[in-house]
Amino acid sequence: MPHIEVDGQQIEVDEDGFLITIDNWNEGVAHYFMKEEGIEELTEEHWKLINYLRDYFFQFGIAPMIRKLCKESGFNLKKVYQLFPSGPAKGACKLAGLPKPTGCV
Amino acid sequence: MTFFILQVLPYIAVMIFIVGMVWRLCRWLKTRNVHNVVLTPTPKTSCGVAVRYVKEIFLFRSLFNGDKSLWAGAWIMHVTLAGIIGGHIVGFAFLGQQFIYMGVSADTSVFLSKLLGTTFGVILAVALLYLLYRRLSINEAKLTSYFADYMHLILLLGIVSAGNFMRLVPGYSVGFEVPKIYMIQLATFQPVTIDPLMNTAFIIHLLLVQILLIIFPFSKLVHLVGIFVNRLTVDRSYVEPAPGMPVANAGVSVGNAASSGKKTT
Amino acid sequence: MSVNKYTAPAMAKEKEMRALSIIPVSDENKVKEALKHLKHLVRKFRPLMLAMESCTKCGHCAENCHTYLGTRDSNNIPTNRADLFRKAWKATHTLEGRVFGKLVGAEPLTLDTINKMYAYFYQCNECRRCALVCPFGIDTCEVTFAGRQLLHWLGMVPSLHASVGEAMYRTGNHTGLPKPGLVDTCEFLEEEILEESGVDIKIPIDKPDSDVLYIPSSADFLLNPETMMGAARFFHYLGINWTMSSAIAEAGNFGLLFDQRYTLRFNTMRLLDEVIKLNIKKVVWGECGHGWRAGKMYVPSMTDRPVPVPIVHLHDETAHYIRTGQLKLHPEVNNKPITLHDPCNFSRACNLGAKLREVLNPCVTDFREMTPNHERNFCCGGGSAILFDDPGMYDLRIKFSAKKAEQIRATGIGENGDGYLVAPCSICKAQFYPILEEHDLGVQVKGLIDLVGNALYPPINI
Repeated sequence: MPHIEVDGQQIEVDEDGFLITIDNWNEGVAHYFMKEEGIEELTEEHWKLINYLRDYFFQFGIAPMIRKLCKESGFNLKKVYQLFPSGPAKGACKLAGLPKPTGCV
Repeated sequence: MTFFILQVLPYIAVMIFIVGMVWRLCRWLKTRNVHNVVLTPTPKTSCGVAVRYVKEIFLFRSLFNGDKSLWAGAWIMHVTLAGIIGGHIVGFAFLGQQFIYMGVSADTSVFLSKLLGTTFGVILAVALLYLLYRRLSINEAKLTSYFADYMHLILLLGIVSAGNFMRLVPGYSVGFEVPKIYMIQLATFQPVTIDPLMNTAFIIHLLLVQILLIIFPFSKLVHLVGIFVNRLTVDRSYVEPAPGMPVANAGVSVGNAASSGKKTT
Repeated sequence: MSVNKYTAPAMAKEKEMRALSIIPVSDENKVKEALKHLKHLVRKFRPLMLAMESCTKCGHCAENCHTYLGTRDSNNIPTNRADLFRKAWKATHTLEGRVFGKLVGAEPLTLDTINKMYAYFYQCNECRRCALVCPFGIDTCEVTFAGRQLLHWLGMVPSLHASVGEAMYRTGNHTGLPKPGLVDTCEFLEEEILEESGVDIKIPIDKPDSDVLYIPSSADFLLNPETMMGAARFFHYLGINWTMSSAIAEAGNFGLLFDQRYTLRFNTMRLLDEVIKLNIKKVVWGECGHGWRAGKMYVPSMTDRPVPVPIVHLHDETAHYIRTGQLKLHPEVNNKPITLHDPCNFSRACNLGAKLREVLNPCVTDFREMTPNHERNFCCGGGSAILFDDPGMYDLRIKFSAKKAEQIRATGIGENGDGYLVAPCSICKAQFYPILEEHDLGVQVKGLIDLVGNALYPPINI
């Protein structure tokens, strides 16, 4: 299994770079992935989405429907893509430490 | 050597052909159609399936819908080949006299038989040459072909060319009588009386046909039978289940829903 | 694990395979094991046996396969793809192969061939266009099915397929959506419908004693909300006592795509169990191509019990209600230029081609057919869920969809940047979301029931 190194700690990720266990997440992980995703800095808007995703995941065990994410955060899809260039599923979820979405997505 | 070709090999070739084909067919029929893998849209009735079956097998429908030039080459090749095989049988049976029953004279009948046979022979040779040219010139056909694929065409070409040679070159014709007697002698297990030296083209023709019979069950030529088996798998009728869902409180809800939808516009 | 020199998707690790109850075979034993499976599979399945032994290599399938058209890679010619299997079969189980070897296209199986199989059987979309054009009806999709089955037994499955299989065992759907998430999502969609159309429509889950069990694609809960809303609108309009089940909120069946034994049967039996539990009278399948093929064609041959209720597709039903004039539709709300992509499994395996048009035509004002269409349509390039994101595979997805892009462009629906591409299949949708952007087509993806739902309950703010 591949690993990433954040603040001197080895953290396990899958082939696509998503965390294996969400419990290993910390803000350092988000900062680490930020560079991979080509995001210059994590603004308040980024954190709003990340925190929303994490809250939803802990409550329901899955990432929210993209439409719901947009509605609840107040950002439209275009804005989400501006914040996370690889999109809500592959970008935002990764920074939030959620597992990679499976299925026909 | 010619004795072997004329008297011994025919029995071996026919035995291998028959046993080989039976073995091949048994091997195929031992497998099962586990799941329903029809290609849709399917005909709804068995009659429709029969029509589809005939179109696919005798008119090469799928090929026609896809690639007209390959269809033309392949269809003409198969039809003339079938015609020629049929012609051989009719020739043995009637010695070229079959058209008398259509009201022509004996001479005209023989002339027509020869004309038909020669025409088909030439067309078949042209069609085979086209198919060979296609395999050699079209990139996709080249990419899919193996040595054997070219050899099958060349073998058929050899048989047809020997046949055409006998037809077209004066002095090499064997007529109707000689092959008939030869066939009867073979079929009744008598020593053949044909003069081995009389016609090299005939011997070559015969030898190549026997090679064809021997390799037939062990080559892609079994598609002759394969198409019948495979078409029965993908072309089947399918009857759809009846539509319509159990509706709990039909009238009320439909009316309400429709009008509430309208109101909001 | 040897490094695969062919472009192939990331493979599931041993841990993931063990979650599917498969112990991966070591490289040393792969050839031996593969030959065992090969013999078993070819001797069992007639279409596979016929593909092995009656192909004439005419090459007609080449120009009809979008994967070959998009890549010009000779291994993507259907008959050559089948050769990955056929060569080994000929070399070990035919007289001509043993005597003449390579001259007749026979070659002993090697580890390299197995790696090549993994690459090219997962570059096949299983769209069956080759079966359609083959003069003998030889179905290379059947060879791909068998090839993927063999690879599964060797422990070689893409991560994507394995993770979906695992999520299905765990949660009853492919996205791993647990019941609380499902309920929350449906409540959200109920609010959305109320807001959009002003009607209060319930989306029930696990409601006992329902008449109709609707089997949605779980991707509809993440990516395609309008499809789920459209289906809810349709059922509500007819006043049907319907429900979904949290135990099988999944129209897809990846068993069809990588394991036609255990996984296919497991998912199928899961459905039948729910039918009994909820006292269902009829099962209605949602917009999912391969899943509907599994539901329609494979349920009867896979279940361990007789199937107690009819199983139909949503669009069998919509077509019926439209034909009988029981739906009042407002096509003017769907006034964008629209074209229809026939999902391969619908048109070539499930007889839905004509019905899709019966449904679409009265729901829209500007429908333009793409050519070719119906059963001659080309695949979206994502068929059989090869929705891989690995850079090499993603690049191939773009190439596989080149023919599709050409077809869409020819309809002219994207000229003003507001066209709708109707693709009633979750895999097609998932493929099209990024691919339409890659080809810059100016077109949006929609499901078919989305438009029906809109036409039934027009949006308030139109």
